[in-house]
Amino acid sequence: MNLQKVISGFFFILAMTINFGFFYGDIDRPELHSVYELFVALVVSLISTVLKIGDKTQMGAVLLATSLVADIQLIAAVTVWTVTEYLSIVNIEAFSAIISLSGGALLANITSVILYIGETLKSKR
Amino acid sequence: MSDNALWIILQKLRLPLLVIIVTYSIAILGMVLIPGLDDNGKVYHLTFFDAFYFVSYMASTIGFGESPYAFTYAQKLWVSICIYLTVVGWFYGVGALVSAVTDRTLKFELMRSSFRKKVRDIKSDFVIVLGYSYVNSEIIKKFHDVDIEVVFIEKDEEKVNHFLLEESSRDVPIMIGDGVISEVLEDAGIRKRNCKAIVSLFKDEEKNLRIAILTKFLNPKVKVMAKATFDATMKSIKDTDIASVINPFEVFAKRVDISLTSPHVLLLENWIYQNADLNSKVCTLPPSGKYIVCGYGRLGKELQRKFDKYNLEYVFIDEKRTASRDMIHNHQFIHENPDDKETLLKAGIKEASCLIIGTKNDIKNLSIMITAKKLNPDIYLVSRENTIQEISIFKVADIDWIFMIERILINKTSLALTKPLRHRLLMHILKKDEVWAETLVRLLLKRIGGNPIMMSLRINEEESYAIYHEILEGKEVNIDVLRLSLSNREEKNVAVPLMVHRDGENILLPRNMKLNIDDHLLFACNAETKEEIELISSNIYEFHYAKYGKEKEVPFLTRIFGHN
Repeated sequence: MNLQKVISGFFFILAMTINFGFFYGDIDRPELHSVYELFVALVVSLISTVLKIGDKTQMGAVLLATSLVADIQLIAAVTVWTVTEYLSIVNIEAFSAIISLSGGALLANITSVILYIGETLKSKR
Repeated sequence: MSDNALWIILQKLRLPLLVIIVTYSIAILGMVLIPGLDDNGKVYHLTFFDAFYFVSYMASTIGFGESPYAFTYAQKLWVSICIYLTVVGWFYGVGALVSAVTDRTLKFELMRSSFRKKVRDIKSDFVIVLGYSYVNSEIIKKFHDVDIEVVFIEKDEEKVNHFLLEESSRDVPIMIGDGVISEVLEDAGIRKRNCKAIVSLFKDEEKNLRIAILTKFLNPKVKVMAKATFDATMKSIKDTDIASVINPFEVFAKRVDISLTSPHVLLLENWIYQNADLNSKVCTLPPSGKYIVCGYGRLGKELQRKFDKYNLEYVFIDEKRTASRDMIHNHQFIHENPDDKETLLKAGIKEASCLIIGTKNDIKNLSIMITAKKLNPDIYLVSRENTIQEISIFKVADIDWIFMIERILINKTSLALTKPLRHRLLMHILKKDEVWAETLVRLLLKRIGGNPIMMSLRINEEESYAIYHEILEGKEVNIDVLRLSLSNREEKNVAVPLMVHRDGENILLPRNMKLNIDDHLLFACNAETKEEIELISSNIYEFHYAKYGKEKEVPFLTRIFGHN
């Protein structure tokens, strides 16, 4: 068992699950989506990106790409949230944009986890 | 992936980035969770944006103050923990970034990628030179003189810096690397079509052999110039079929050989190398008498073969190496220090006709020479000179023949690669006898003078427009057209055609010969005649005058509108 693999696998999957936790719930009901969850989702996503850096294989490159997509989506969501809050635009359209951005990030997370599982199954050890 | 450099930075920054992300998020989360009091005394929580803003300027030690309201003691307690956490994390990150940028591997990768790019951008012919030395830097200059680009590889960074300090008119792609690694050679562009040759003159001859073999596998079309002085290595290098071996000791021994039988051939050789002009003294070694040689290394052994060939009497003196028992028994070898009056007397300096001093130490060589001169003022002196620095001392000293191994290497290597036509001429001349050479020297002296220059001319559209088109039109052009004087057609100019290279064959001293397209001609001439030949071969009017003896009739319209 490789500790490095445990840690990176842990973060890849954690990024997905936490993101799912934030995403889950009606898109037009802000009370179902916690800002803390979004914060943790972003942090974990950043960490998993850094963990994917440095693998020069084809698989590593694709994993890094999906992770960067998730980061960009989450950062966009956070930015939208901050801007609407400080400009006091209480707008259900802006809020649904945040949720759908995180939904996009979730898709990227799922892709990367599927790739990760595929690679694990492929390796003989 | 090509951008190795970026990859190295990212890999080095993994841990610092993780540390920064984790410390920031802990600090931000804490700031959000701990309640504060606003200026009305009401409880409030920092938003994530407030916290991110505050932590950002705290961690980078910018410190704009407490915002949006003054902190409570609970908040201050947390902030003081966070300061140590985030500031340390931030500094660690910056430090890691700086050290990653100054990293040796990174620098190497950056150098390598710029080297590859420069090599890729070379469009003309180029040559790879391995290793920095006096010889190689002279060779590089000679390549640049004839517009051949050079790619340079050296293992030692310090020597690379030396090379960079040297004045060079061109941008030479330089790489720190070992030439015996195929990857380095590939980076240097050995597989490229315009890579013409690789020069490998390492002292370590094993290395030269390995490079010859590697080159054969990487690109057999590339010529290898390799130095080798040991028989086994020489044979192996020759067996690669693509390499030409340079053995400076053998070259010198060959010169001794030539000078014993045909000294004028040697004079011509020196002229082709541009070491001396044709008026200089002919090096005639005494054909009989005793030869004393100081130094019985590779050079001595090569010389011994030549002495045996001509049945000359000889004695070798060497204090370090030893010779076969037969030689010692026959008084052909003295195992003593040659820089000693007694030793020289024992070797028979008084009745010897020639002394060849060939040790590796210049001062010793000079000292032996002075002693020998005192003992026998009439002796013919041949001395080896090792470093360029002592050149003036050797010139002042009254030595009949000075030779320098480095100079031989420079001449040999660069002539073959930069002036192939002259090299071919030299190869032919070396096979000729004394009478032939002396006649040629006399002819050149009489017609042109002591220092004729050489010019080469190719029959093609660029170099000889007029001749090329005349031949294309189906008319015959004789080489003697080029030998006519333009001021008076009845007279001849001073040029002497030395050689014509046609379809892989060389015709020496061509006379009254029909020219073909793609012929490569070599003339000996002076500067004035060189211009005349260039005019005749490329200007259609001058050519017409030279060939037919009258001005070319220009059609009326062309005269007005100019020749297309």
